[in-house]
Amino acid sequence: MTSQVIAEPRVTPRPAPRRARTPLKQRAGGVAAALLLWGYAAVALAPLLLMVVNSLRDEASLRSQPLGLPTTPQLGNYVRAWSEASFSTYFLNSVVVTVTSVALGTAVSALAAYALARYRFPGNGLLAAFFLSGLMLPIRLGIVPVFYLLDAMGLLGGRTGLIFIYAASGVPFCVFVLTAFFRQLPDELEEAARIDGASELRIFGQVMLPLVRPALATVALFQFITLWNDFFFPLVLVEDAAYTLPVGLTRFFQEYGLTQSLLYSGLVITTIPLVVVFLFATKQIVAGLTAGMSR
Amino acid sequence: MGRRTAPRTLTRNSASQISRSLLAAGCAATLALTACAPSTEGGSAGDTTKLTVWSWRTEDIAGYNKIFDVYEKKHPGVQVEFKAYKNTEYPTILQTGLAKSSGGPDVAQLKPFGPIQAFIEGGNLTALDGKVDLAGWPEEVVAAAKGKKDGKTYGVPFAIQTLHVLYNKKIFADNGIQVPTTWEDLKAAGDKLKKAGITPMATTAKEPWVMGLTHEIFGATRMGGDKFAQDVVAGKNDFTDPDYTASLQTVADLKPYFPEDVTAVPYLDAQALFSSGKAAMYPGGAYELGPFKKADPGLDIGFFDAPLPPGAKMDKPVTPGFADGSYGVNAKSPNQKEALELVKWMATPEFGQLFADELKQISAVPGVSPKDPLLAEMIAKYRSQGEPYSMAVHFGYGEPLGRDAEGEAIASMLLGKMDAKAAGTKIQKDISAWFKPEE
Amino acid sequence: MVQAGGVSSERAARGRRRSRRSRVPSVRLLVFLLAPALALYSVFIIYPLFSSLQYSLFSWAGTRQLGFAGLENFERWLQPGLYRERLLRAFGHNMIFFAGTMLLQTTLGLAFAVLLHRSRAGKRFLQTAFTLPHLVSPIVVGYLWSLMLSPSFGAVNAGLRGVGLESLALPWTGDPALSLPTVIVVNAWQWVGFPMLLFGAALAGIPEEYGNAARVDGASAWQVFRKITFPLLIPAIGTVSVLTFVGNMNVIDVIYAMQGSQGQPAGSTDVLTLLFYRTAFQNPDPAAIGQSSALAVLMFVFIFGVSMLAIRVMRRAEGRLR
Repeated sequence: MTSQVIAEPRVTPRPAPRRARTPLKQRAGGVAAALLLWGYAAVALAPLLLMVVNSLRDEASLRSQPLGLPTTPQLGNYVRAWSEASFSTYFLNSVVVTVTSVALGTAVSALAAYALARYRFPGNGLLAAFFLSGLMLPIRLGIVPVFYLLDAMGLLGGRTGLIFIYAASGVPFCVFVLTAFFRQLPDELEEAARIDGASELRIFGQVMLPLVRPALATVALFQFITLWNDFFFPLVLVEDAAYTLPVGLTRFFQEYGLTQSLLYSGLVITTIPLVVVFLFATKQIVAGLTAGMSR
Repeated sequence: MGRRTAPRTLTRNSASQISRSLLAAGCAATLALTACAPSTEGGSAGDTTKLTVWSWRTEDIAGYNKIFDVYEKKHPGVQVEFKAYKNTEYPTILQTGLAKSSGGPDVAQLKPFGPIQAFIEGGNLTALDGKVDLAGWPEEVVAAAKGKKDGKTYGVPFAIQTLHVLYNKKIFADNGIQVPTTWEDLKAAGDKLKKAGITPMATTAKEPWVMGLTHEIFGATRMGGDKFAQDVVAGKNDFTDPDYTASLQTVADLKPYFPEDVTAVPYLDAQALFSSGKAAMYPGGAYELGPFKKADPGLDIGFFDAPLPPGAKMDKPVTPGFADGSYGVNAKSPNQKEALELVKWMATPEFGQLFADELKQISAVPGVSPKDPLLAEMIAKYRSQGEPYSMAVHFGYGEPLGRDAEGEAIASMLLGKMDAKAAGTKIQKDISAWFKPEE
Repeated sequence: MVQAGGVSSERAARGRRRSRRSRVPSVRLLVFLLAPALALYSVFIIYPLFSSLQYSLFSWAGTRQLGFAGLENFERWLQPGLYRERLLRAFGHNMIFFAGTMLLQTTLGLAFAVLLHRSRAGKRFLQTAFTLPHLVSPIVVGYLWSLMLSPSFGAVNAGLRGVGLESLALPWTGDPALSLPTVIVVNAWQWVGFPMLLFGAALAGIPEEYGNAARVDGASAWQVFRKITFPLLIPAIGTVSVLTFVGNMNVIDVIYAMQGSQGQPAGSTDVLTLLFYRTAFQNPDPAAIGQSSALAVLMFVFIFGVSMLAIRVMRRAEGRLR
């Protein structure tokens, strides 16, 4: 009765063994299915393709013909968005805020998850439920008190306050998933290390933690996507110098709204890093998404 | 953060005891950081006061830097830093900035009328009565910076926005169209442009505030101008008044000349229709000239005031206008004296002229005229036949704002989901959620 | 033996482990391990939510907290009048949004997962394609679609006209009857990969033998799906529903980008989070903090309550299935 879904990041469905003969009726169904799948793939990809294509077109042709291909690719759009419209700053802010938050959130969660999964102590179940409840909390609704809290701490306006909020927001999910992973580890390893005289912290750091590396990568990536895309907290909590990409984008639309080609390149710049991450780590992302199903 | 090392006042409602001790630690850290940071004044931070000015006019940064250079030359020991934020998020940012116990602005641009009331009641702004002399300024201009409850003045208005119908001179000339002086002329021009495949008027009903302004431009003379609004405030009339609902109908009747699916047109696209020469007219304010010129520097723009619609209660066209904002002093600023000195200067013709020339906007300082001929003409019109934009002046003090209630109702009319009478009833109901007429 | 749903499996796992877990750690070790996460989570997530409750019970003048107000701030939302109407309107839109999303996104996600469960050409590519929009920031998705759906310069209507479907070139974002469905479709476009992957994982946990055995008994593919696969997917469907519910109650980015902070046109796409945002940050009323906090408390109670209830019901249903 062990949950395979949680226990292993390998969740891409295994291909079913091919059946020997397919009746005609099933073949027709297969064609219809293929049509549906490939048709929808076009629907899923076309807007993204359009975004890239339009970011390379010149303004005049874009205005007169909403659909079309670039005659000569206008890379200048990217140069302008990057330097003139402060996308370089937004980009840096996004990277710093996201990476730091993910690292902090994952680190503290790994510690807590280990305690919850491997030790018995009074209040264990209660604490686990306390963390778990965070998955259901609409944390955006706390924005006004968060604002005054950060102000009192002198963290309002900058990146540090945002990092704390983000790191904290990832804790429930990380603790939940990592606890499940830690529970799956066999006791024997731990016992062996203990007999060898290793301290509890050493067992955690050198024996158990490396074993859940895939899970760590999964929760880290999952947080990365969520935080990279968040727009609500920076909208309220930071000043322009600390704007991340999504909120920088709202400002950009205000200032450069009459130059559409530029807008498209801004959208592409905001999106590219995640696509790169995706292409390098599809497996982890798929696992991260599906791990969420245990919520 | 930590821009200033001066002693700071703490809010009374800071979060908790824990955060108080954290705050102390935070302040210590900030102090340490700023002490390490290189000082532009060669370490003699004591002699120089740096004033931070916040604004929603990102497009004005370069101009303001020049203006404040002039001020700094005359006021040695004072350094003015101008910071601009995104227009639509500015209310949020300023609310946060003024609430902050430190690191907020010393002087801030304040949105007119309603939005400043929360700051005033929260004690976030310094009253300017007896400190800055605004005698001789038009009443409806100063009203933009007054406390609704205490009647005190909290800001020095800086800009006046006038509302007109902008038009593309080249398109008018190409189609042999004269500036319309009667309602029939206007409709004839619209029909002619439409036949030629040109959108007669670019606007949008997706953003309620745009329709609110459009109503003021075309409907003010039909409803009887500010007199009507004052009657509503006094409890002698309300928005179900037949002349008012007829003025809503005036706008709805222009629908054939608006872009197709006008309720779906994003504001940016309404602007783009005009700036790219796809539309001939654009009902809007002087503030639109900047973006239009930026999109196409060659655009030849003229303006006229809407002719009298049939049944108008007034006998000649008007130029609606309103104070677009004011400069106020953050009550938590540790540099009260210097900040007051700066806003005092902002009420002088010297600042007014610099403002008009550098920023190409209409200064609120009486007697100042911009160099730009188009703007000069606009303010001249306002001074001769001006009319306060009543939704902003009287009905901007609660949620929903009067202009938004009006804009939404007109959008429903344009969609054919409401007639003028129902729209008036709806507006009356929406605004009554917070508005009570004077006894 | 079959593990399709998470909640039950986690429970089962816990039951098994508890018996084996017998080490009692030192207090110092426990504090070291638990304190950082607990502190971060309590200070930045839990404490603000409780503060909202406190804020909602006081009178406010701007940012100055005045005396105790009792339920005055709540009365604004609950007494008959415009604000209650707006609250109910936004709430209704959230419900439609949820229903529409479940219908569209979950059905499509399930269909894709089932179809992709069998090995087929280009499976990897298709999975990637369906999931890609999920990676794009909701604010980017909103802006991108608002550019594409613009009646004057947008690609969608230009494309429809280009292929002779003039009559379908509708004011997608400008007609109150169309605007909410349009936003729902855009949102589903972004998120459909998510239920697809969840269902895919659940399907992978169903042993092949089940279906084979049924097929040997002469069951059709549809019967196999309806009688065997689908019941085993119910826990996963429950999970998807709760997640979709929480996500949809919090929706703001995509609507903010497409229809503005007022949920235009004519408030037809206004939702609770937008109403909260406007009440908190775009409200000229000096009592804005109290009013918005009261709204936050109402929303919180509803979202958290329904989620908890749903999970309880799900667990019970699962218990019956076993």
